[in-house]
Amino acid sequence: MADIYKLIHPVKYFNDYLSRNIRPDGRGFQEQRNIKLNVNSIKAADASSVVKCGNTTVVCGIKLELATPKAEEPDMGFLVTNVELPALCSSKFRPGPPSDFAQVTSTLVSDIIVNSKCIDLKDLCIAHDKLAWVLYCDMVCIDNDGSLVDACVMTLMASLKTLTLPTVTYDAETEEISVDTSVRTKLKVHGLPVASSFALYKHLQSTIVLADPSSYEEEMCGGIGANLILCYNKGFLCGSHKFGCCNLPKECEEMAFKIAKEKTQLVEEVVDVCIKNYELEQNK
Amino acid sequence: MAGLLLSPTEKVFIVHGVQDDHRSDGRTNIDYRPMELETNVVSHATGSSRLRLANTDILVGVKTEIDVPTPEKPDLGKIEFYVDCSANAAPQFEGRGGEQLAIGIAKLMQAAYHSSDAFDLKQLCIFEGKQCWKIYVDILILECGGNLCDAVSMAVKAALFNTKLPSVKAALMDGGNIDLQLSDDPYDAKSLDIGTAPLLVTLCKIGDKCVVDPSAEEESCSVISVVVGVTGNPSSYSTEENVSDSAKESKFTTIEMVGSGSVAPKTLKDAMNQGMVAAKLLDKALGEALLRERQETQVKTKKHSYGFLR
Amino acid sequence: MPLDYRRFNGPEDSIPYKRFTKDFVKSYDELFKELLDDKGVRKDGRALSEARSMCMFFARADMVSQAKGSAYVELRKTKVVCSVFDPREIPHQNEFSELGQIFCEVKFAPFSCPRRRRPHAPDAEEKALSVALRKALEPSVCRHMFPNYQVDVFIYILENDGACLSAAINAAGLALADAAVPMYDIITSCTVAVIGDKMFVDPTEAEEYLATTNPDTPINHGLLTLSTLSELKQISDFIQIGSMDVVSVTNAMEVLEKECEKLVPLVQKVLVANVLKCFAQRKRLEEEANEREKALNSKMEEWKKLLNAG
Repeated sequence: MADIYKLIHPVKYFNDYLSRNIRPDGRGFQEQRNIKLNVNSIKAADASSVVKCGNTTVVCGIKLELATPKAEEPDMGFLVTNVELPALCSSKFRPGPPSDFAQVTSTLVSDIIVNSKCIDLKDLCIAHDKLAWVLYCDMVCIDNDGSLVDACVMTLMASLKTLTLPTVTYDAETEEISVDTSVRTKLKVHGLPVASSFALYKHLQSTIVLADPSSYEEEMCGGIGANLILCYNKGFLCGSHKFGCCNLPKECEEMAFKIAKEKTQLVEEVVDVCIKNYELEQNK
Repeated sequence: MAGLLLSPTEKVFIVHGVQDDHRSDGRTNIDYRPMELETNVVSHATGSSRLRLANTDILVGVKTEIDVPTPEKPDLGKIEFYVDCSANAAPQFEGRGGEQLAIGIAKLMQAAYHSSDAFDLKQLCIFEGKQCWKIYVDILILECGGNLCDAVSMAVKAALFNTKLPSVKAALMDGGNIDLQLSDDPYDAKSLDIGTAPLLVTLCKIGDKCVVDPSAEEESCSVISVVVGVTGNPSSYSTEENVSDSAKESKFTTIEMVGSGSVAPKTLKDAMNQGMVAAKLLDKALGEALLRERQETQVKTKKHSYGFLR
Repeated sequence: MPLDYRRFNGPEDSIPYKRFTKDFVKSYDELFKELLDDKGVRKDGRALSEARSMCMFFARADMVSQAKGSAYVELRKTKVVCSVFDPREIPHQNEFSELGQIFCEVKFAPFSCPRRRRPHAPDAEEKALSVALRKALEPSVCRHMFPNYQVDVFIYILENDGACLSAAINAAGLALADAAVPMYDIITSCTVAVIGDKMFVDPTEAEEYLATTNPDTPINHGLLTLSTLSELKQISDFIQIGSMDVVSVTNAMEVLEKECEKLVPLVQKVLVANVLKCFAQRKRLEEEANEREKALNSKMEEWKKLLNAG
């Protein structure tokens, strides 16, 4: 019955819920979905993590490679982040090269990581102008149920926080490289950027801010992704993006910023606990 | 095979015939149709061959290049197969229609030549870890009359038999780089050792039995075929008597199923055994034909060509 | 290769760091010794003939919320996700096709392989796996039930520690059943790696690698994958590569058949659990709907009263 109603009157169905101050999946407007995080589950990668926010599932794996730095930045390493949206994660995507949405998401995540300055690329340099680390970070979405960027940033940061670099000795004379995998050093990560997605919905005269929207809500709010993405690192705003929908009234804006800040604490706790547990297990 | 219409009774006739090891054109289940083969047909290729089996027409050209071996396997050369289905070969190949089939055949060939028992890539090594030969085998399907895999594998083996790699005269070590000097003399070249190169045999399941080299009518009675790649016997490809007599026993290098049906385990086992027998016979016949042709070209300086590529 | 402008690319000449570790190139014997200890126990503690299916098999259906049907299969480290979507009309087709089609795509995650980083663009292995998966699934699906439509089956391999094709086939079977696509039988699949006289059932990546590497002496080696429809006693796909004699292939086939048989009850269990879960969910939804209807009806009454009054 409800399914048919949803199909025939999609907008009315959605409005009915919102007018009663509840969302179709039973959450309040500002409620986040449950977060599940697991680190280092993929042994083939140098570091990895899986995150599940509600149904949205993203896996991140990092592969390490060595390369010569760019001539214009001789003491910088490389951090290559890509978001993959394979056809299996949603019926909206087709197999083949990345869709526009995948490219936009990739750029967003990369911007957030670069702007938050959580990784100093100089830490990745091994020998000036000769050798540097390349971190290939691939985030793969297994199930796309909205708030993709949040999950991507979270899984990427969790992976980076667990990443260890093997020791590399570079002989400047013979140009010989040798790698010792038994001695590993942790990568320095400054802070923990956390992204928060919001969907904005114009209901009657007021604007409703939906935190952590599902893909159905994102669709109803007129975008292919979230309408507003805010990102905090160590309590400082390091990225805000607004896509489509209506103009944002002042009180909504303040509320969104407040929710995003609160979410930062929550995610920080989740990541810390998860990594601590993992390390404890490792040391046993 | 567009436009081929068979009544149910005709199909039953074919199925019963196969069951009794007697096919409608008089062959037994492991007989091939007559075929034409000639080598050295493309002057710009290092080795080439053309094969015609019933209506299937295949041209194979071999090119060689110098390449750097992979760091994982520093002492091995490389071989790669490319299949191109000409749009004229069959009506369904128009546009990109033949692409899937072409990729499938190339993959099968790659798998069949993967093992060192089938084709020893060490013979393509020039300098371990630095330089090796890379062989490109380009397969052009000019006309498609069924049974492509078998025909392609035979044509490839013939073309490789015909391939000669120039000898390396000198090599200069310059730091980490190597400067090779190849012999200019076209007769100063070594043939490839391809005695063990595999042949593919397609076994078309009709009823409970399998046939090789099915005609178009027989193909329409079958939903699935098994393709087996079987290594050859080197003694068939050399005139010298002293070839290591331990002529290795024939082995499977690849087995794959083609088509959308399924088979019973017993039928599959029978098909594999039958394929082995058929491949051995085919390999022997191919060796004989190739040796005879080589002898003829040595006696008569000018080769008499039969094909359309005169 | 042309640069992919739709992704962020790293430097062109980057090399995996493992190449510079001390033990990058190992001889065949060294690698072999790593696989088995003196007692014939494998590196991960299994006996030779022990499949991961029995103790380390984890499977669940209904994994991806956005898909019609989905499944997740884990064989210790090998992790495979599969999702199946609603049938859609076959794109770019002029003629009516009586049988529905299955479109398969297998993709490796860039970080899935221990040896190297996978490129984003589909490579030959992915294409080969996609074709093999389609061939294995075709005989198990009642394709005449959805003429002129195609069902998309997408496989994503998160981590490859051997036997990824059989894991993919098992996952696809589960996902198709979860999506309520009509099928003839449960499809199960298993892989075996053969090195000499040893048979590694359900091999890990290291075992697979060695089985497809050329040994120094001509011994049997190869990789076999078999998928069966156990109730119908049919083999839906069989793939072998490497170099093996008849006896070895036949033996391996028998082992594989048994292993596939063993998987059936496990798959059945997963399917039953999934159906029960779906029922429970539906019941809950129905209850909720009833409640809502009641609320609506009472409201209607209220309005009616208001209307009548006013």
